[in-house]
Amino acid sequence: MSAPTGVAPTPLGLRLALGAVGVALGLYGAWLLWSRAEPAQVLDALLWAASGVVLHDAVLAPLVLVLVVVGARVVPRPFRAPATVGLVLLGSLTLLAVPVLGRFGERADNPTLLDRDYTAGWVAVAGLVLLGVVVAGLLRRRARHAAGPVAPDPPGPSDRPGPAGR
Amino acid sequence: MAVMSRLAERLPSEDSFRSELRSPTVAARVGLWLGVCFTVCFLTGLVSHYAQNVDHPVPFPASPSWGYRVTQGLHVVTGTAAVPLLLVKLWTVFPRLFARPGRGVRALAVTALERASILALVGSAVFLLVTGLMNSAQWYPWAFSFRSTHYAVAWVAIGSLVVHVAVKLPVIRAALGADVDDTTLDRPRTDRPGTDGPGTDRPTERGGGLSRRGLLRTTWAAAGLAVLATAGSTVPLLRKVSVLAVRTGDGPQGLPVNRSAAAAQVTTDDVGDSYRLTVAHGSRTVELGREDLLAMTQHTVDLPIACVEGWSADATWTGVRVADLLALVEAPADSDLRVTSLQRAGAFGTTALQASFVEDDRTLLALQVNGETLSLDHGFPCRIIAPNRPGVLQTKWVTSLEVLA
Repeated sequence: MSAPTGVAPTPLGLRLALGAVGVALGLYGAWLLWSRAEPAQVLDALLWAASGVVLHDAVLAPLVLVLVVVGARVVPRPFRAPATVGLVLLGSLTLLAVPVLGRFGERADNPTLLDRDYTAGWVAVAGLVLLGVVVAGLLRRRARHAAGPVAPDPPGPSDRPGPAGR
Repeated sequence: MAVMSRLAERLPSEDSFRSELRSPTVAARVGLWLGVCFTVCFLTGLVSHYAQNVDHPVPFPASPSWGYRVTQGLHVVTGTAAVPLLLVKLWTVFPRLFARPGRGVRALAVTALERASILALVGSAVFLLVTGLMNSAQWYPWAFSFRSTHYAVAWVAIGSLVVHVAVKLPVIRAALGADVDDTTLDRPRTDRPGTDGPGTDRPTERGGGLSRRGLLRTTWAAAGLAVLATAGSTVPLLRKVSVLAVRTGDGPQGLPVNRSAAAAQVTTDDVGDSYRLTVAHGSRTVELGREDLLAMTQHTVDLPIACVEGWSADATWTGVRVADLLALVEAPADSDLRVTSLQRAGAFGTTALQASFVEDDRTLLALQVNGETLSLDHGFPCRIIAPNRPGVLQTKWVTSLEVLA
């Protein structure tokens, strides 16, 4: 990409040197991975890394796209921005809470690990976020009514997956 | 060929994504903080790995006593904050996944190399966050060793991050230098900021969508919420707020347990009247029962115990100075020690206690915690407690201390 106005161009030499450092660090990591484990373990680790990419790109990202498209059809306009905020807050929090919500690491001999009611905690946070979304939406709707009539709804969200260039 | 080109037409392209929020000005700002989090995570991870090494060419300092607690708290906090940051970052750049490579061998090669570096970056980043979160909840459904694999992949992540910055440096500089609503760097077929779509000038607020600034604020809020909801495991002030923290910080004798006696396969028979601690220095050896240890001068220290898995807690420990034990076998206080536990299962049954800790007055072979005799789960009859060390090295059920030549 050409450098936009106002920013001095970055010297190519600097970028090449940085790139070389990065490649060296990454190769060191690959060597560590390979030299300190059995091939079957390395394969398992690679499988976990690849699954992460596939789950994001082929499951999570399309799911969010569908949620946004559906949300724009069913969620009233003043509630759209608050709902998006709620989705980002609660979606990311829920994903990172999967290990505690599922209690997969629970051990009968160690009651000090996973010693909270995580479902209740999640419900409490989800309730607060939802309350925030509804209150913000109602306030925005009132502000909109106060501002007087507006033009009819434009088409929903512009971020639709579909055939190229149409 | 005709089938292929028809297929290619059906696939989404970069231009299928029109949201003006997916802009380099947004991606660079989220990416900057994501990079900060990953760098802090990497450096604090290196500290922990060095601390766990047997050999310390540069002595690991015993002070400040809270150093390890803070670095490992930071490790888990920045890793947790990185989850929402990474998700939003990936969302903003998702259209790039469908970018068509340029024509010609050279363009294809450059594209392939860049894609490979992105694959390494995303794969390793997701791997680190997922395995790290699972490790803090002690959930290990895989065949590899968590510690060595998490460490190796961290080098891959930081390397591919540096490559990514090198590749994107001109765009990053331009994007960070521009206003977040600047459209100069946007993909050509993106909607203009502050509008509802092509050809309209209605402000976004009216359309109901989020503005770029709104998305950024939401992202910072999501990172903050993630930290607040989990950091209570290591920040006592947050205990009541952190509803998703892996531990409350409470437990028998006011302290959580990482590995129980049952998990380590240590029984009451092992630590009964027949229990003896062996202190060895070359050919000089003394054997001490629990009564012998209690008869020695007792010292009391306040030291935190901090686990790599992201929890830490303060406690008051009472016991015998390790240096005093060494004096019994006429070993100098600046000796390196090998500490052996009675445990039959689990890692770290034998650990190193380096001279920098041995010569510190706060390093004890503790017999009591918080005013009570250690319970079996806390390492009865005695355990090592030293300042500024990983919890896994605070060896429990100690059976021998050997001076290394």
